Amino acid sequence: MRDLKHLQYFEDLLQVANNALITQAREEGKVCVAYTCENVPEPLLNLDRAFSIRLHAPHTGSMDIATYYMTNLLCEPSRALLERAIEGGFNFADCVITPDGCTMMNRAVENMELLKTMGKDNPNFFHEYMEIAFKNTDNDVNLAVLQCKNHILTPLHEKYGIDISDEAIRKAVAEHNEICRLIRAIGDFRKEDRPRITGYEYHVITLASYVCPKHLIKAKLEETLEELKTREPDEKQPWRARILLVGSEVDDSDLIKLIEEQGAFVCCDRFCFGSYPGRNEIVLNDDEDALTQVCRHYIQNCQCPRMMNMEKVYGRKQYVADLAREYKADGIIYEQVKFCDPWAYERTLGSAMLKDDYGYPVLSVDRPYSIASSAGQMRTRVQAFVESIEIKSIQRGGKA
Amino acid sequence: MKTVQKVVNPVRRAGEQSPGKIYDPKLKVRARREWRGVKDTFYDYTRWLYLMSVLGRFIIVPRNVKGFFRYRWMMSYLFVPHGMDKFTVGLRDEALRLAHTSFNFVIADVTQAIANCFRGDRRVGNDKAYSDACVVTDENSMVTFMMGFDTKKVHTILREVPTMFASNIFHQFNVMHYLDIAQQYGISGDVCPMPEAEAGISIDDDFCVLGCCAVQNNTTCDGSLMGNGIIAKRLEREYGIPTFQLATPLRHKEPDVMDYAAQEIKNAIAFVEEHTGVKWDWDVYFRAAKRVNDATRCRIAQLEINSTPYPQFFGAAFSLYNDTNYMGNSGRNADFVKIDHKLLALAEKGYREKRMYAKEYRHRAIVWGVQPQYVIDMLYWLVQCWGVMPLTDMLSVINTDMIAEEDTPENREQAYRDMAMLNMEMIMRNHTHGGYKVLLDDLWELCEKMNADMVMMWEHMSCKALTGMHGMFEEQARERGIHIMWVSHDLCDPRVFTRSAIRDQVSAYMRTVMREEPLDPSLENIPDNEAY
Repeated sequence: MRDLKHLQYFEDLLQVANNALITQAREEGKVCVAYTCENVPEPLLNLDRAFSIRLHAPHTGSMDIATYYMTNLLCEPSRALLERAIEGGFNFADCVITPDGCTMMNRAVENMELLKTMGKDNPNFFHEYMEIAFKNTDNDVNLAVLQCKNHILTPLHEKYGIDISDEAIRKAVAEHNEICRLIRAIGDFRKEDRPRITGYEYHVITLASYVCPKHLIKAKLEETLEELKTREPDEKQPWRARILLVGSEVDDSDLIKLIEEQGAFVCCDRFCFGSYPGRNEIVLNDDEDALTQVCRHYIQNCQCPRMMNMEKVYGRKQYVADLAREYKADGIIYEQVKFCDPWAYERTLGSAMLKDDYGYPVLSVDRPYSIASSAGQMRTRVQAFVESIEIKSIQRGGKA
Repeated sequence: MKTVQKVVNPVRRAGEQSPGKIYDPKLKVRARREWRGVKDTFYDYTRWLYLMSVLGRFIIVPRNVKGFFRYRWMMSYLFVPHGMDKFTVGLRDEALRLAHTSFNFVIADVTQAIANCFRGDRRVGNDKAYSDACVVTDENSMVTFMMGFDTKKVHTILREVPTMFASNIFHQFNVMHYLDIAQQYGISGDVCPMPEAEAGISIDDDFCVLGCCAVQNNTTCDGSLMGNGIIAKRLEREYGIPTFQLATPLRHKEPDVMDYAAQEIKNAIAFVEEHTGVKWDWDVYFRAAKRVNDATRCRIAQLEINSTPYPQFFGAAFSLYNDTNYMGNSGRNADFVKIDHKLLALAEKGYREKRMYAKEYRHRAIVWGVQPQYVIDMLYWLVQCWGVMPLTDMLSVINTDMIAEEDTPENREQAYRDMAMLNMEMIMRNHTHGGYKVLLDDLWELCEKMNADMVMMWEHMSCKALTGMHGMFEEQARERGIHIMWVSHDLCDPRVFTRSAIRDQVSAYMRTVMREEPLDPSLENIPDNEAY
């Protein structure tokens, strides 16, 4: 296939945490709200003059200083973020809002606060920590509303004068939905038998929507969607199997590239920084305040393993199975970043249930934050998985 | 660096002076009993007989024999007498009586818990009527939501306590099998081994199966929360036991989580009412609340004694008794009140008579972090071998606020908030979660209050909440002139750190940093790595 016109542009934006668009947005007088977890309602960070940036640490190498503070027993993403913060890589942030979602990410941000890694020249800089819902009940919605008021809306308004009215929230949701529609429409091309976009390309585009000011990439997303409508897929498809990738956060597109290099087309993404569920549209009605509806959306759509009631526990597996069917996946890869407690269990139970209860071939792997440090191992695992899918297909009378 | 005045014991302790000599590397138990002088040896022997009578009364029941052969973990309870010796090594006078009084009570409580499990267990006793009145809860569970249920009508079964927690104390290798099962199933080896072992027991189908319903919670950590899913799946889908997840907010010091937490308690109570058919009784609740407050006052008094130069009640016996009382009992059993007061009277007597655990105290230490299950006698070793007096441990530093105990309309609403507060401030998680202040600042305040010059920092290597603040502990200890001694372990997996590997970390610190020699060299290298 011909290269996407803006792929290089999006790739370039992902090379550093402090990308050019963040600088541009701040020069426009906007307020950068950094966050660390998909459980934070994103539109609330994009009210008025505020724009959200989910922290990531591309091209992480040494994490020695963060390892001193957090030991080598914590997950690499949390240490990578702390290391980057200590290096000054997140100095663009005007505040950091983090949920007590998982212990390790919470500790990473607490270390950032104690070490005063950010906000040295900004008297309005603040850290906020949120309690996050555990279940999908009305009680949890009430909790989320209160937490969002106390830890997002009020500090943004008091420190930066951000408009936090119902109208402002509805406007932010509308803008959020525009991005979601574009991302989803681009991703829908992955459902085709001869997909005209690769999983890697899609991940780059989706990731950019988390780590860049959305209003500054919207035009490029629209152009990309238009381009895809007429993009001709290769006559001979390189794919040997279609794979649904499920798991903890993936902000390293090289992981997707590595999987696809083994002939496994990543047809769908169910992970943090992925489009499911993070790029689902938020549907608002006029009968209820927007804040409550946004919170309810996040709680009902949340696929984070931290959600502990059994409806959610079983629901997460059903969600994966539904996606696998919708995107015609031949197999599922459950991945987790090493030392991640929530996904260590979710990966295990998920891979067992998707295999036993839903009949999908499943590869269950842990991995480092940066796949470059363990590429050979992962390559071998994926190759073997693809071959096993092919063998099963042959045994069922299909073609290799 | 901060220093404290050395305290020398003017009295020569009765009996043999080198308890290290009772260990034999060829044996899995101690070579012989310790000679403590006539009076204390006789007392110790009578308590040993009492313990045997508790075990004897348990095993003469036929269904308990059946359970013994059905469940792998029951093997651990063959070593209870040996386990009790871990709690009394080197102890004399009031210290010996404190350990026996508290821990014998805990053993009797655990024995009863096993008997209850077997009675209702579908595979052993199969007493359906009894089982239908049982509510199964987690091991790391505050049972405050059961405080208002009459214990004669509804039975709270903390089935993970005898299965995993207590059995691991008596037999250090007990959980390795279940960890292997869990990892064979696919769970990573880098998660906390305690919930992993519990998940492994469930995967191995080695839990007793009973109860009309179950209540799980997220009180300890991410691992504990996540392990519940595996256990609940088996409970619900295989055994048809409906399971409720009681969500407990992590940021327990923030007032804006209280309404949520209180509502969760209400929901849990409603769930129990629905499945047991028994109604919540406010009389029962407020009687339990009075007992909770009484236990709190006793605990505060014990800690005040420990702030003096002559601490009396600390270490494993205090910690485990406290766990059982605060968390597993939560005021429901009136027998704890008598024991609380007996323990306090013993500690006060010991303080008045200036009883000491060793021939001298060189340092006063706060023990922070989570202790390993399989070196439960470590703190006695610390004081007897190196003269480092452990004033208290993190798991014993819990709620000091009184809860509403008079039955009024206002207090009934307040009661939900009290239960929620206790639930959120469960042992361990009240410091490991809730922001860095409860982990760091609380420690330094305690050092100041109890006049400690040292922190012995248990670094449970799979506990992300603790290790995530490693550097901050180092830096802030340095700023305050507090010695911080890191001791790594893996909670209940002795393959990662053996007992001697754990003690060696202390010895290395005391020799190289503190430049000190042991008080009792016979204790420095104890050949008990293979002992139960």
